[in-house]
Amino acid sequence: MNRVHLELKNVSKAVFRKVNNTSVRTQILGGLDLNVDKGELVTIMGASGSGKTTLLRLINRLSEIDSGSILLNGNDIRSHVPMELRRKIGMVFQVPVTFKGSVKDNLAFGINLWGGNTGIETLSRDAGIPEDLLDADAGQLSIGEKQRVCIARALANQPEILLLDEPTSSLDAQSAETIEKLLLDLQKERDLTILWVTHEKDQAERIGGRRLILKDGRLEEYHA
Amino acid sequence: MLEVLALALTVFLVILSAAYARRFGIGKEILLAGTRALVQILILASIILILFDKPLFWSLLVLAVMAAIAGHTTYSRSGKLERGLPVAIVSIAAASLVLLIPFFLMGIFPLEARYIVPTGSILIGNAMNVSSLAIDRYKGEIKNRRSEVEAYLALGAKPELAAAVCLKQGILSALIPSIDNMKNLGIVWIPGVMTGMLLGGADPMEAASIQIAIFTSIFVAGMIASSLMLHYSTDSFFTKAAQLREEMD
Ligand SMILES: Nc1ncnc2c1ncn2[C@@H]1O[C@H](COP(=O)(O)OP(=O)(O)OP(=O)(O)O)[C@@H](O)[C@H]1O
Ligand SMILES: [Mg+2]
Repeated sequence: MNRVHLELKNVSKAVFRKVNNTSVRTQILGGLDLNVDKGELVTIMGASGSGKTTLLRLINRLSEIDSGSILLNGNDIRSHVPMELRRKIGMVFQVPVTFKGSVKDNLAFGINLWGGNTGIETLSRDAGIPEDLLDADAGQLSIGEKQRVCIARALANQPEILLLDEPTSSLDAQSAETIEKLLLDLQKERDLTILWVTHEKDQAERIGGRRLILKDGRLEEYHA
Repeated sequence: MLEVLALALTVFLVILSAAYARRFGIGKEILLAGTRALVQILILASIILILFDKPLFWSLLVLAVMAAIAGHTTYSRSGKLERGLPVAIVSIAAASLVLLIPFFLMGIFPLEARYIVPTGSILIGNAMNVSSLAIDRYKGEIKNRRSEVEAYLALGAKPELAAAVCLKQGILSALIPSIDNMKNLGIVWIPGVMTGMLLGGADPMEAASIQIAIFTSIFVAGMIASSLMLHYSTDSFFTKAAQLREEMD
């Protein structure tokens, strides 16, 4: 029996757009349901602006749902301390953001914050960061290298779930495939539950897993 | 007689500069600001005159009112943050008071209205300027570095930690003018207190020593006020669930 890891029930979210200096409410997600099993890989496609990023941000509570509920292991995420919830649900953003300092400093962030026994060497090896980059200034890395740092930084928290928001969108085809492979290896190795947002059909096919598409505020099965 | 001459010079300069500045479209503004300044300073002088033979309590009350007005100015500058008014007033008042006390405790100045009110007002005024600069920059940094702040939050950092880089930048940029002033003290300019004491016939060494003590106190008060203020403002940028607020301007 597969255990349900993450459950979204009837989730809605509207945003307020500024139009001519007045706030206009726009419904982005409405009546959205999703069940994800432990260790499952789910890809989420959808047009630009359909709400993919918005959806991920609700799951680690960077923003708040308007109605409905989100359950982690059967418990409402609102019953968790937000900081602890975010440790369990790691997120890799569309555009990588590194912190001031060296690559090593970046990787050590979660370890300093939460303790934990993952060594920086293991992390960087897992994320494919060459050893000679460890002392380099993180701000000077290429975008692909930064994205690896962000992935490793998220993994340092030993999350149960990884939310990936188009993690390869700013990379060339070759680096994208390297990162894809890296993430898939990590998923198997660590039995991670992954929600992977992508707008590329080809990538979704390469990744495998259950394929969904976000349309009109809800998730549907995706058929090519 | 002296007062009349000085005031006459002031009125002349204000009118002259306002007339000249009409071509930049700020003639009225200068006239208004100049008149305000003139009226306000005369009121202040009258208040100090009245305070001379009143108990010290009244001097402290005047300073408290000044701190409240300073706090309100900073609060407005901050875009009226939630709970921002009491935070601004208390930060400015506390920092100024802490740096005011040693002057009287050590006996540098006698405990009289003539000394308490001006010294206190210098501290308060500067604490206000530094705090306004600091909160303005802090807010701007958070706005411009949203994705960085949220990257911290996403790793499980508390709001204070997520905003720490922005806070640091806010304090730093607010203190830079004071640090530069400190470096150039006595070279580029002779500061107000020393000028006043020299004009009043004081010994240059004494004037210089008191000036530097006041100067460093001003700096420290500004640093304390802005640190307190920014520290207690952090919460207003985040929700109870440690989310960075959307609406920020
Ligand atoms: N904070 C916000 N304020 C106003 N509108 C917002 C906000 N966040 C998102 N939106 C709007 O909500 C819609 C969905 O945005 P979202 O970023 O979730 O789309 P997306 O599916 O991730 O798109 P993309 O593929 O381009 O990344 C967009 O139209 C966007 O303009
Ligand atoms: Mg997006």
